[in-house]
Amino acid sequence: MTALLSIQHVTKVFGGLTAVDNVDLEIAERSITSLIGPNGAGKTTLFNCLTGLHRPEVGEILFNGSSLIGLRPDEITERGVARTYQNIRLFGRMTALENVLVGQHLRLQSSHWSAVLRTSRQQEEERAAREFGRELLDFVGLRGREEVVSTNLPYGDQRLLEVARALGSRPLLLLLDEPAAGMNPSETERMMDLVHRLRDEKGVTVFLIEHDMKVVMSISESVAVLDYGEKIAEGTPEEVRANERVIEAYLGPEVAVEEAAGNAVD
Amino acid sequence: MPLESATRAVRTGLIAFAFLSYLILIGIPGRIGGPALPVLALIAALFFWLILRRESIGQFRQVSGVGQDSSEGKPGWEIGPQAGANGSRVRELLPSRFGTPLVLKGLVSGVTTGLLVAIVSGIFATAMGNGVAIQPVLDKIVPLNIAALIGVSPGQIAQSDVSFIRFLVQVLLFAGAGILAALVAAAGRNEPAQNALTGRLSAHLSGPTIRSGGRFAGIALPFVLLVYIAWLGLPGVTAFGTNEGTVRLLLTLIATGSGLFALRLCRPGREKLVVAVLLGLGVVTMPFILDQFQNSVMGLVFIFVMMGLGLNIVVGYAGLLDLGYVAFFAIGAYTYAFLSAPFSSPYISSLLILLGISPESPLLGYWMALPVAMLTAAVGGVLLGIPVLRLRGDYLAIVTLGFGEIIRLFMLNLGELTNGPRGILEISQPALFGLTPVDVTFGLLSSQGWIFLLALVSSALVAFIANRLNGSRLGRAWFAMQEDEDVAEATGVHLVRTKLLAFAIGATFAGMAGQLYAARQINIFPENFSLFVSIDALALIIVGGIGSPAGIVLGALALKGLPEVLRGVDEYRIVTFAALLVIMMIVRPDGILPSPRRRIQLADPEEAVGDSDQETGEALADGDGGKEEDQ
Ligand SMILES: Nc1ncnc2c1ncn2[C@@H]1O[C@H](COP(=O)(O)OP(=O)(O)OP(=O)(O)O)[C@@H](O)[C@H]1O
Ligand SMILES: [Mg+2]
Repeated sequence: MTALLSIQHVTKVFGGLTAVDNVDLEIAERSITSLIGPNGAGKTTLFNCLTGLHRPEVGEILFNGSSLIGLRPDEITERGVARTYQNIRLFGRMTALENVLVGQHLRLQSSHWSAVLRTSRQQEEERAAREFGRELLDFVGLRGREEVVSTNLPYGDQRLLEVARALGSRPLLLLLDEPAAGMNPSETERMMDLVHRLRDEKGVTVFLIEHDMKVVMSISESVAVLDYGEKIAEGTPEEVRANERVIEAYLGPEVAVEEAAGNAVD
Repeated sequence: MPLESATRAVRTGLIAFAFLSYLILIGIPGRIGGPALPVLALIAALFFWLILRRESIGQFRQVSGVGQDSSEGKPGWEIGPQAGANGSRVRELLPSRFGTPLVLKGLVSGVTTGLLVAIVSGIFATAMGNGVAIQPVLDKIVPLNIAALIGVSPGQIAQSDVSFIRFLVQVLLFAGAGILAALVAAAGRNEPAQNALTGRLSAHLSGPTIRSGGRFAGIALPFVLLVYIAWLGLPGVTAFGTNEGTVRLLLTLIATGSGLFALRLCRPGREKLVVAVLLGLGVVTMPFILDQFQNSVMGLVFIFVMMGLGLNIVVGYAGLLDLGYVAFFAIGAYTYAFLSAPFSSPYISSLLILLGISPESPLLGYWMALPVAMLTAAVGGVLLGIPVLRLRGDYLAIVTLGFGEIIRLFMLNLGELTNGPRGILEISQPALFGLTPVDVTFGLLSSQGWIFLLALVSSALVAFIANRLNGSRLGRAWFAMQEDEDVAEATGVHLVRTKLLAFAIGATFAGMAGQLYAARQINIFPENFSLFVSIDALALIIVGGIGSPAGIVLGALALKGLPEVLRGVDEYRIVTFAALLVIMMIVRPDGILPSPRRRIQLADPEEAVGDSDQETGEALADGDGGKEEDQ
């Protein structure tokens, strides 16, 4: 399997704090990969490096074989990387459909003159964009919410809308930052189903950060673990669950020992 | 009547009185003359109406809120059947609270205002009757002013021959104003709960009859006014004595403004289209029927409409607070000035002589100079835009403010080029195929009327372009950038390009406005391009409603037109601005005619959902483009 995304020795330093420390990671095409780690481990910072919000001090990020380092966020999106945010960041006063239309912005071609003159090509493009926007909203489960102003959507729907907006740019790789955070079990279920459908129906590679272990274990094909900016483990969900450094990172050293002892007794 | 409602009504009356006393202090009644008292009562009625129509919704919310919180005074979550029981009790509470009829509230407010006006005018009248000179302190409190306020002749004041009945009439008039406002406010909304507001009577009054009648009257108003304005302009017709010019100007302002409201009242579709076409025709006839004075004011108003529309792209659409917008206005004006009157600039004339061209005649006519002025302004916009690309909010405002001043100082100090404070003189008028429009129309169109007409057409064009752009992907990118710059960029918006486009397009429109302004002024000086131009442009957007073209027209009418009506109180112009702004921000915090998006932001969630469907459709169909396009 070829790696769609290859992260090599990426390091990001904030003042004296090394938020991401020499991380290596490969994401296979059409896979679902989870990134886990305690609070402040540097997961979001790694996403920010991938999407051009931060520029890593050291390291290389190859996407589809070419480097993303030094590119602007919109250029990276243009290459096919889209994302959602941990704390929802929708365009609040825009409707759901308009949010998805902004997501499609860089796939729209018509000139601004043609918008003033309303040429038939521009009109056709707008119509198609709206059509595609509706399709995407339908896909994430927001049918009938097109004209609702996004701040007025319920919390769970806002998270779904972020996914739809990200899909607007027709990404190859989708980065989801805690997509199920704050959701109730049935909403979480929906989100997990959506992630599967994204990969199976749209062929999108998904790389997600998640705290809910149940979600991580059931959804992902591979898992990477960050702790204090360092990658401490990587592998299938089972391998990672059994990894001692991971247990230690999550539960603290003493508990980890007890836990290990408990496991032994079992 | 519950005490709470009563105090609120009295407070409304007090605020209205405060506003009226300001008008009295600056001598408005004296200027209006005979009909002063009814006019003031109408102003008060307008004020009451604005408060009362909010009152009816405001109280609904507050009551339901109070009901929920104060149920047991218990904080925390209310779950299960108890919550349901609570809810029903709230609903039961409503009718009794709503029992205070709106009319009673209006009456209390009106009587409060009326009594205070009567007391104050009584005190002044008595003092003057007894020979106390108030004028040295309050310069506008003269017998003429107070007499108009009471409805007597100045002579009667001097002899303290004012009957008590006069003061009673004052109180009754304001009481009537309160009732009128309440009835209109009640008719304005036809929610079922509203029926309780004014009792059984208004259930009928607020029904379809009044609503459709009111709608029809609203649509007809601008046309009626226009006909009246035209009639006033006929030779031989005299009314309002020496004030005729001012009154006609005021009516013109009202007619233009009411045209925008009429459009809003129309049902979308054929009705709207027909009214829009008629309104467009009506507006275009204005330059022909107004005189030089009114035309010159309206020309300025619409030059500022162009400014507002351009600045709105930068501030309202893209969310970049630009306080140096006057710079592009100045660039447009001076570019045309140089091209049109090269002889006024020592440097350009010597350069032209060197090249063997006579500097005595214009280099380019108005129309040929237009693209040059627009392009120069656009380049200015980009040049300002580049250094401030990374700045946000306050920092952006301060840097652009500096840029505006720098341009003015350049104009002032580059004496060789711009002739410094002596200005560029004798800028030529826009011609039509080498002919002046005054000749073409056999004197029907005055020179200022021609400027007004050009300003109208240009504003329509600018509004049209701005509206189309706003509805395109560029408009979405601007708005996304305004909402969250980082996310917009990560979503695929090229920030540099999008920002520079906003600055450049905004500047282009200011350049157009500046060129027309130069032609209007004939002579321009650096002082014409002070910081206040930027502030005026920004203020009219805020007053009108950020992001809404129709609101911008209203803002320009209010902020650039009204001061001309209040010419005699010009020294109070800034205070009037401030007062208007303060009142506006209280009464309609999102502007007179806000854009649907603004309204969404400020409205309640449930309300906004319903609202936005309707309003968005309306905005798409209309967005002011409707009216302007058809000219
Ligand atoms: N822009 C920034 N400037 C300075 N420090 C930052 C910045 N962004 C993140 N950090 C720091 O980097 C560290 C990693 O933060 P990050 O947000 O990546 O953690 P995370 O793994 O996403 O945690 P969480 O699970 O809480 O979301 C934290 O200590 C944080 O305070
Ligand atoms: Mg995070």
